Amino acid sequence: MKRIIALLLIALGIFSSCKRQLEVPPKGVLSPDQVANPENIDKFVIAAYSPLGNGDINVSFSLWQYGDVRSDDAYKGGRDEGDGQEFHFMETFYNMRPDFWPIDGLWYRIYVAVSRTNIALSYLNKIDEKAYPLKKARQGEVRFLRGYYYFLLKELYYRVPYIDETVPQDNYATISNTALSSDALWEKIAGDFQFAVDNLPVKQAEVGRPSQAAAYGFLAKTRLFQAYTQDDKYNVTGIDKGKMQAALDAADKALNSSFHLEQDFANNFLPGNFQNGPEAMFSIQFSHDDGTLYGRLNYGDALSVPQGLGCCDFHKPSQNFVNAFRTDNNGLPLLDNFNERNVDLANDNVDPRLDHTVAIPEHNWKYETKHVFKKSWSRNPGVYGYYASMKENVSPDCDCFVQTPPFFPNSKNKILLRYADVLLMKAEALIELGRQDEALPLINQVRTRAAQSTNLLNDANGSPQAKYNVGTYRPGVNITWTQDIARKALRFERRLELGQEAQRFFDLVRWGVAAEKLNAYFQVEKSRVPFLNNANFTKNKNEYLPIPQNQINFSRGVYQQNIGY
Amino acid sequence: MRRLLTSILLLCTLGAVAQQRTVSGTVRQKETGLPLAGATVKSSLQTIATDSLGRFQVLTKTGEHLQVTYVGMIPATAKVPATGTMAFVLTPSSTDLTQIVVTGYQSQRKADLTGAVSVVDVGELKKQAVANPIKALQGEVAGVFISSNGSPSAPATIRIRGIGTLNDNDPLFIIDGVPTKAGMHELNPNDIESMQVLKDASAASIYGSRAANGVIIITTKQGKAGRVQVSANAYTATQFYTTSPQMLNAGGYGQAYWQAAVNSGRDPNVNNIAYRFQWHADNSGKPMLDKILLPAYLDAAHTMHASNTDWFDAISKQGLIQAYDISISNGTEKGNYLFSAGYFDNQGVVKTTGFNRLSARMNASYKLIDGRLTIGENFTINRTREVIDPGVLNLALQALPIVPVHTVDGIGWGGPVGGMNDRQNPVRLLEDNKQNNYHYLRVFGNVYANLNIMKGLDLRTSVGLDYGNYVQSNFQKKYRSGYLVNDMNKLTMTYSNTSKITWSNTINYNRSFGAHLVNAVAGTEFYRQNDMSFYASRQNFAIQDPDYTYLDAGTGNKDNGGGAAANALMSYFGKLNYTYDNRYLASFTIRRDGSSRFGSNNRYGTFPAFSLGWRISQESFFRQLLNPSVISDLKLRFGWGKTGNQEINNVAAYSLYVTDYAGGNPLWGPTNGTAYDITGAHTGTLPSGYRITQRGNDNLQWEASTMSNYGIDFGLLNQRLTGSIEYYIKHTSDILVFPPYLAVLGEGGGQYVNGASMENKGWELTLSYHGKWRQLNFQMTGNISGYRNRITSLPASVVNNYGGNGLNDNILGRPINSFYGYVADGLFRTQKELDNSPAQQGKGLGRIRYKDLNGDGVIDNKDRTWIGSPHPDFIYGYNLTLQYKNIDLSLFLQGVHGTDIINQVKYNSDFWSVSETGSNKGSRLLNAWTPQNPNSTIPALTATDNNFESRFSTYYIEKGTYLKLRNVQIGYSLPASVLSRMKMQRLRVYIGGDNPLLLLKSKSFTGLDPESPGYGYPNPVVVTGGVNITL
Repeated sequence: MKRIIALLLIALGIFSSCKRQLEVPPKGVLSPDQVANPENIDKFVIAAYSPLGNGDINVSFSLWQYGDVRSDDAYKGGRDEGDGQEFHFMETFYNMRPDFWPIDGLWYRIYVAVSRTNIALSYLNKIDEKAYPLKKARQGEVRFLRGYYYFLLKELYYRVPYIDETVPQDNYATISNTALSSDALWEKIAGDFQFAVDNLPVKQAEVGRPSQAAAYGFLAKTRLFQAYTQDDKYNVTGIDKGKMQAALDAADKALNSSFHLEQDFANNFLPGNFQNGPEAMFSIQFSHDDGTLYGRLNYGDALSVPQGLGCCDFHKPSQNFVNAFRTDNNGLPLLDNFNERNVDLANDNVDPRLDHTVAIPEHNWKYETKHVFKKSWSRNPGVYGYYASMKENVSPDCDCFVQTPPFFPNSKNKILLRYADVLLMKAEALIELGRQDEALPLINQVRTRAAQSTNLLNDANGSPQAKYNVGTYRPGVNITWTQDIARKALRFERRLELGQEAQRFFDLVRWGVAAEKLNAYFQVEKSRVPFLNNANFTKNKNEYLPIPQNQINFSRGVYQQNIGY
Repeated sequence: MRRLLTSILLLCTLGAVAQQRTVSGTVRQKETGLPLAGATVKSSLQTIATDSLGRFQVLTKTGEHLQVTYVGMIPATAKVPATGTMAFVLTPSSTDLTQIVVTGYQSQRKADLTGAVSVVDVGELKKQAVANPIKALQGEVAGVFISSNGSPSAPATIRIRGIGTLNDNDPLFIIDGVPTKAGMHELNPNDIESMQVLKDASAASIYGSRAANGVIIITTKQGKAGRVQVSANAYTATQFYTTSPQMLNAGGYGQAYWQAAVNSGRDPNVNNIAYRFQWHADNSGKPMLDKILLPAYLDAAHTMHASNTDWFDAISKQGLIQAYDISISNGTEKGNYLFSAGYFDNQGVVKTTGFNRLSARMNASYKLIDGRLTIGENFTINRTREVIDPGVLNLALQALPIVPVHTVDGIGWGGPVGGMNDRQNPVRLLEDNKQNNYHYLRVFGNVYANLNIMKGLDLRTSVGLDYGNYVQSNFQKKYRSGYLVNDMNKLTMTYSNTSKITWSNTINYNRSFGAHLVNAVAGTEFYRQNDMSFYASRQNFAIQDPDYTYLDAGTGNKDNGGGAAANALMSYFGKLNYTYDNRYLASFTIRRDGSSRFGSNNRYGTFPAFSLGWRISQESFFRQLLNPSVISDLKLRFGWGKTGNQEINNVAAYSLYVTDYAGGNPLWGPTNGTAYDITGAHTGTLPSGYRITQRGNDNLQWEASTMSNYGIDFGLLNQRLTGSIEYYIKHTSDILVFPPYLAVLGEGGGQYVNGASMENKGWELTLSYHGKWRQLNFQMTGNISGYRNRITSLPASVVNNYGGNGLNDNILGRPINSFYGYVADGLFRTQKELDNSPAQQGKGLGRIRYKDLNGDGVIDNKDRTWIGSPHPDFIYGYNLTLQYKNIDLSLFLQGVHGTDIINQVKYNSDFWSVSETGSNKGSRLLNAWTPQNPNSTIPALTATDNNFESRFSTYYIEKGTYLKLRNVQIGYSLPASVLSRMKMQRLRVYIGGDNPLLLLKSKSFTGLDPESPGYGYPNPVVVTGGVNITL
């Protein structure tokens, strides 16, 4: 009896020494002290890369919805207008609202990427270079990435809150999207790429990391955008010659590297050993059978797969875009009247890049005669026609083509900066600086390569699938090479060369011609596809997306909405 | 009063022929049929007690009335028959003042309670054929709101006295002294002896940090002294899905498609969903649909007939419920035991879904050292198995009627072709999911020792265990369903276990000194929970047989993952109850809790409470003023107390990094992966990094509620009519919030903070009446309650995150979860209305007109306001029990009034293009607005949502008011004479049903079941037949 009482009292007493029982450390996670050391630094750098491949069908870092569908190059596609309806409204610029969730989702996801670069940099900055000899190079990589992420934000949303690793987290909410002027924001982005240029090696052992040339390429791109001065209503008011020269210089450095054009245009868009080729200056590295659920696949472009091969037949080249590939007897594009009638693929001359870029009924799918693209592969041709975008797609037989119904993504790399793009940026800078004659060989270099790129375009009988004819500009022979014509030719060339690579809309805004070009496009195109009936681009508004309504609300008025919304 | 009546009656009837004789009989309890030992049987000549078998012999006068009373039972009277024996069946009373109520680490007489404690009529709960007794609690107790659906495991959400926090609002369960928050559907309802709901803080605060949402105390059955008792119950029920949405059939879908196209100026024949339309415009230009042409086959290979599938029909079936349980108990002076076993099986109304439970319980106690030491245990072990609905209810709504369930061979699956939506065939999903069940093994209970040191002083120690072992297998089969194809099968096995240990030690003192009654308890409690889980998967199985598909049998990729969590609580508590002369009651409680979940700066919280009561009816002046037969009991109560809530993530206080290799399922949205193929290898293991998941907060602390409770308990007409009225004010402060945050903070931007406050003010009324008319005994219990909720403060940084315009209009001062949106003001019906309306992009005839609330002439997001609140005005329940001879009948009605609900189905039933245009729609669309149908309230069909009608507006908000007949049951008990021949004590058969009738719903509600306006598992109508046997 007494013993029992004693036991019970002991039991009660035990608890006085039980305070440490409340120290229950978290399981399977790490505290900041545990991770911030030299062994882990590289992992923060990797984590800053991974957002490149973390997109999904609605938040696509390839920006096909924003760069192509909003331009004259592509229709949204899919089941009908109501399928991904926000993108239908973005395509027609009708009913554009700041509360569209994809706009908020994209904003958030890019800032997640930015925050990973800032976390990595805050640890990198603190570390001793002796303990971590790669410090400078890794800082260069991460600032390259941050520059890239802010570049996306800038071209999409115009003015965004700029936060780098020096800003304490408690101050984030006080930083407005209008704290920096548009130009100051370009300077910040250029600053990151400049740092990358100064610190990145000429060649990287691991292909996923950017080289110095890639940083030069993006620096050129940043300066090029910056050189077209905009007023606060997005009207292009002129050319900043200094910035244009800076773009030219950077492009020169980028081109003066081990990178060069592929022999065949096709190689840029093929999987396997063609990836990370000589023209791919910076790519998103996708992978399959890598221990993740389905693989780190390109979900951002997964909707582009035609219905005949999977789902969901989005990203459909426009008729206007296809017509742009018609060439005259000299193999030159019809700069002014290409859209007067639809191209007749049986009889007209066309630029072979058409068959690399656009899937056309009864032509080969991804260069394979055993997979002929059929009309029946299109999901709703009555609305969106019979073309499909091909660059991001792969052969259904490729082991990189992964079925994860209802989506069918692939693990082929996505090129974010192509040597040809830099060539044309350099040409553009030269033309705007009045040195169009120096631009001519650059444009012709791209066209010559296009002319060579017909080897994979034969049908099952070995004959070409269309009348391919692409020639170079020869002043005095087939063209009068003035600055105006050179500008027109350059802009047309960018469309042909970089079509369906989500460049077009941003190019049009850079040049200050978005309203004019797109409204003219709608005028004709809506007679071909009635879903464009309501389409109308509002100048001084639709050049940029609205700042997401959620972010304005969460910021409690610190953020200012873009004009017009 | 009653005695007076009886006397008068006796006088009248007896008169001349007063004749003495001895009558014998039995007294039993109604619910269990068990004999009641020690019941008091009173005649005019003699008062005796029943023996251990409930038998009695008493001297009476012929024609007089015998009265039988028993603690906790409603007294019964019956006329002494001329011959034969008498059988009394007593009904437990939930209002009896002498009833003993468990209130946490101790028990009290109901009459002495000063807090808001409701005693649940457990017998009523058990009448419903549901796996979870908590679901059946709906409408039974004032102030307790249950929401649920018809899923076979009967998951239920419980809200006691409204929503008190932005976090976990679930109450704490204390089962035989062991706390748990886990699912009640895993326990056998038939093991429940009693259930109490502690609603206010003064009652609940003894449970400190987990009591803010109220506490439900459950005591399981114990063996009772007497002889061996065997009781068995069985029922079987069949259930039907009666509330499936009215969808378009194949022709109707075509008609709606055509209408949407012509309304939008499109050629309806430009489609890739196999429909062709013959149509023309009549003389007035009105488009007329002549004929819909459908192909014989949907696909080129001719495997799918164009069909007319009713997908809700295709996924549902008549469900079957079976339940059996048996218990054996015995008790002696040396101890008692009870053993029970139960089986419950519910094959739901959605095909292949089902839940079953096998349970066993052993409760035993042994008295040692002359009865001073009691050692006992209460343990139950349960195995539940469930196949859950894989999400077909929304899919059944979306699937096109033209798609067949199967291909022409009757084996393959129908599915979308061409331009149809990319949704799965719901029947295929169900069929391919039927092997994907989980097994959950749960062991729950405690062992205890109680030592009686001296009279009134007890030491008790108890170790409680709640252990769960969960195994789930998910095999994803290969399939081909239209263009949806999966060529790779995959098995994922998931395992997790949870162990929760509670060790409590208490010292109890219970003595009376003259008119003073003292009841005190002090103790400590330690709680620790450990969770662990992992999964493993494998791809590529040659054979898809469930007997073959184990991880070793696959040949493809492997994947696995897992994690763990833990938390601990350390508590010290004390409670003192004091009663003077049955008149003045007081109670004081204090508890101090420490939790591992909180920041090192604020780990401990203290939770005090007190309550006072005054039984005015015991005062002599009151007795003189009022006859007890008018007001037999009257008690005033006041309580105040503070309780806590610690139900947040275990690691909420920390800044954390994780490695997140894959980062989630890319089909469900962007992933958070930290891996990247930096070397360009394109396959194999990738380098991977860290990502931050949240920001830490060392100052994180308890969320605290204080509640004041005012109560009146009363009994009228000699306790024939009893009831209570409660009023409370509950204020919750330091609510733990994990607010949405600015995107620039990135993925680790979230942080738990203490910041919000809210208030609930509410009232409750419970009334119970029992009476008798001739041979008809009846009992009525009704309750009604309501509350008003408002958010009183929010941190400035998150004030805009719960609705509002982001600037000056926010949720402060409004009920939590209030709806914010546009006001839909009917449709534009004339050109004039259109011309005179504010600018509204996309407006047109037959389109929704929105109100320009700020009067600036433009409809935009500044024209939103607060358009509804999901809180009911009041909820109520009404229970009627009738007993006539051997027949009993009960009805249970339950209702909710004045709640605003979002009718999710309307997005599909009233619009073509607001949700997925490629999906099937409700048949209401056939009555949509057209110039020829100008009075319709359903907007015209359009191909795209140009008028932005998907905006959240009053169009989607309807009143969720309803009154349902929840349960009806009629039973027949065999008479004692027959029973004794069969050597039985009781045999009752019954039939009944759950949810047979929706008696009332709001006119504005356009759906079928206001209780589940979304796509939840339907609440079926259940028809039950059963038998109760006691040997």
